[in-house]
Parts: sequence; structure tokens; C-alpha cells
Amino acid sequence: MRRIEDQTYYEILEVSPTATVKEIQRAYEHARETFGPDSLAVYTLFNDQEIKKIQGAIEEAYQVLMDEALRKSYDQSHPHAVPGLKEKPPEIPAVAVEKRPSLSFTDIAVEIGEVSYRGTSLKQLRERLGVDLATISAETRISLRVLEWIEEESLENLPALVYLRGFLKAYASSLGLDPQKVIDGYLSILPDPRKK
Amino acid sequence: MIQSPHGNRKTIWAIGGGKGGSGKSFITANVGICLSKLGARVILVDADLGGANLHTLLGITPPVLSLSDFMKKRVPRLRDVLVPTDVPNLQLLSGAQDLLNAEDTKSAQKRKLLRSIQSLEGDYLLIDLGAGSSVSVLDFFLMSDGGILVVTPEPTAIENTYRFLKSAFYRRLRQAVSSTQVKAVIDGAMDRRNEQGIRNPQDLMDAVRRISETDAQTILEEAEGFHPNLVLNQARSKKDIEIGFSIRSACQKYFGIHLHYLGYVVYDQDVSVSIRKRRPLVLENARSRAAQCVKEIASKLADRHPLSLGS
Repeated sequence: MRRIEDQTYYEILEVSPTATVKEIQRAYEHARETFGPDSLAVYTLFNDQEIKKIQGAIEEAYQVLMDEALRKSYDQSHPHAVPGLKEKPPEIPAVAVEKRPSLSFTDIAVEIGEVSYRGTSLKQLRERLGVDLATISAETRISLRVLEWIEEESLENLPALVYLRGFLKAYASSLGLDPQKVIDGYLSILPDPRKK
Repeated sequence: MIQSPHGNRKTIWAIGGGKGGSGKSFITANVGICLSKLGARVILVDADLGGANLHTLLGITPPVLSLSDFMKKRVPRLRDVLVPTDVPNLQLLSGAQDLLNAEDTKSAQKRKLLRSIQSLEGDYLLIDLGAGSSVSVLDFFLMSDGGILVVTPEPTAIENTYRFLKSAFYRRLRQAVSSTQVKAVIDGAMDRRNEQGIRNPQDLMDAVRRISETDAQTILEEAEGFHPNLVLNQARSKKDIEIGFSIRSACQKYFGIHLHYLGYVVYDQDVSVSIRKRRPLVLENARSRAAQCVKEIASKLADRHPLSLGS
């Protein structure tokens, strides 16, 4: 029962100190949704000022934990935040504070605020998560070339809409994003005839 | 979990919180049936203040005997009030409408009732508390092995759930601390416009620390040990389902408690069809999407409190 300013970055994002960047990204998206302007879950508990403070803390925690150097420095200067962890390896398979997989709806990713799911932003997000295109290709069985076209928004080379939807769905799932939101976001950049 | 005189352990869940109509009785009846189908001896206790109607959801006529008959000593033992149902291993304890009223239920009566309920022969007891947050309802919620809050993804329902949770949380703290001065501070904190300026549990902690460090420590321990459960009912979209996770996060940030998101039940027309037929959904249409969700919730409860050997 501590104030937000007394919580560690891991507590603010509700992740384990050994969380991977992918888990941090998902936790951040969830936290933004929870304390976002349209959230039904917080407005009766917190006033506007408190929500702004929490939003600020979430952004700060995200910026630090997603940057390898900043995170390392934070861990070293806050040993209480990472008990039992003298030096954190960059990518350990993480154990979340509470395992979500027992719920069948756990892989749902939430909206990333104002970030739109177009090719360039998907690429940025993928790189931020430290996932290379070859890994997605191997996982989804989508050719590397097509994945590149998707990220480059190479409209003339993109497959027919029915296939594109399937590819976007697989791409989103492999990054732990909400497939429907990725599909909707991506298709919104296409010229109208392609959407039909 | 309670050790009965017969050696078996029983688990008591109290289903409460939220707004009337959020589906507490529906969840109680159907989860109870699922647990009994797993081989457990289950007792459903209808303590819905607003209107006891668990019997209707189970498809049986209003029982002649109720909890009131026991409390008014018209029957000597609580087990005499138990009503069998069509489902093997499932019994109903009906009619608490005039019992859990805060005005006329004395604490001695409440304690007697709690003791009697705890001594019933069964593996799982599910108490349908219904809406409202009177002191008696809160006490039943707090005395259970696990309180289950049922909420629908609507602002009014969420608001009522938080109100219930806040009342239960502060009552739990009040019962745990020893200083009368601290108890008075907790009582005051319930009023949002209290003179001490306590707006949230963190402010309360600061106020308590100024009076008693021991009680402040007790409050911390109570908060850490308070793990209510949440079921989100009538989810129509992924966004609705996500609200459950958001409520969990909000509770973590506000109360500093760990709310366990037990699961969700999708909005399904089959639910209202089954209720109109006075047939429990999990029996009437076991393959429906909502019934599948209920089964998943029941299995999670059973996994967390497995039947003891020899029971």
C-alpha cells in the first residue's frame, strides 16, 4: 500500500524484475489503457490529478525499462527493486508476477494510445521488442519478402486483401499485439479500392 | 478453509459486490452445479437481501423451510433446513431475506449463524450475498475463504463494486487494529469528505502511523492478505474482458491489494433463455459459450481449493 512515487518501475508497470522487453511493452500498453481517458476502471477511484501523476509514472517507467542501458543503471541504483538479482541478463524468459496464461483471453493486446499500426510503426515496434524479421518469418511461415513489403507499405507488391489480412494477423500475434487492431490500423492506410 | 468435526475440510465462497442484476445468483447457481458435477458436496446459501431467488434459478419451488426457521428456533439444526435439488450432491439453504438486515441482526445471532454454516457437511459452500454493502453482508464476505465480486462492464456496476470493495477493505482493517483512535480514523475515512483529508488508503496509512506504528503494520499485513476474486459477467468484446484486468490494476494502485481476476462470462442469449425456462444454464445448454465460461471459473476454484483426501 504505497504511493505511486514510492513504487519501483517494475511495480508501476506490474511486471517482474526479470520481465522481457516484450512483456514490458504489453504491460505498458495495458497500463496506458487502464489509466487512459476512456477507461471505466479508474475514474471513480482516482481524481484527475492522481490519474495524471500515475500516467506520468507509467511513461517514466516505460522509458527507462525499455532502454537497456537505463534499465541496467536503474537496477544497479535500486537493488531493492530487483531482489536477488545482482546483474540482470538482458533477455531471460520471464516469470510474470501473476501468470495470465490460465485465462484463455490472456494474449489480447490493448491499444497503444495514439500509435497507429502502419508499416513503419510496426517495424519500429518490432525492433524495439528486439524481434528480427527472420524470426517472424520462421514463426509465421510468411516469406521474408512479404514481411518487408508490409513494413515498407509497398502497396503495389502487397498480396490480395484476403491474404494480407491473414499475414497481418500472424505478424501481430507473433509480436503479442491485438491482431484485429493491427489489421484495422494497417488497412486504414490503404487506398480505398484495396479495402473492398 | 475450515476443518469440520467430521474431518473434512470445506471451503466457503461468498459472492457479492456490484450492482443488483450483475449476475451473482446466476454465477452462484451455475458454478455450484459445476462443482457438484466434479464430485464435490456443494451447498448453496441464498442470502440475497434484495430478493432470494436462487431456488428459481435452480428450477425448484420456494422451499418451505428457510434460514429464518433455524434462527427463530423453529427447527433445531441448520441442516434440517437444507433442501435437496435435482442435481446430485447439491443442496440449497434458502431464505435469508430477513436475516442479513443490519438493523435487526444482532452480532451474537450472526456469529451463531456463521458457526452453524461452517459446521454444515459439505466440501464447498457458496453464499449468494446479493447487492448492497450492509455490515452483515460485509462480514459474510470477509469471513469466507474467498470473496467473489461479480461485475458487468458498465460504469455503474464498476462504481458499485468499488464501493463494496472499499467498505469491505476498511471493515477488514477496522476489525484488525486494536486502537480505538485508529478505528475512529478508519470510520472517518469511509466518508469521502472527511475532516482529516483522507482520500485514499495511503492517506489513511499516514494518519494511522501518526497514532500507532503497530496498527500501521497491521494494516499493511491485512492489505497484503486480502485477495478478493473478480468475475466479469456479460462481456461482449475483448475490450470488455480487458476491463477485468484494468480493475485489477486499479485495485493494486489504489488499495494496494491483489485482486484475482478469476475469469469472465460472455454475454449470451442462452442465459436469459435458460433463466426463463427456470433451468440452470450449465444443465440446459452446457455447450453454450456462457456455460463454457462458467465451467472454466468453477474448475479454477476447484483447482485452488481441491477436495481433501477422504472427504
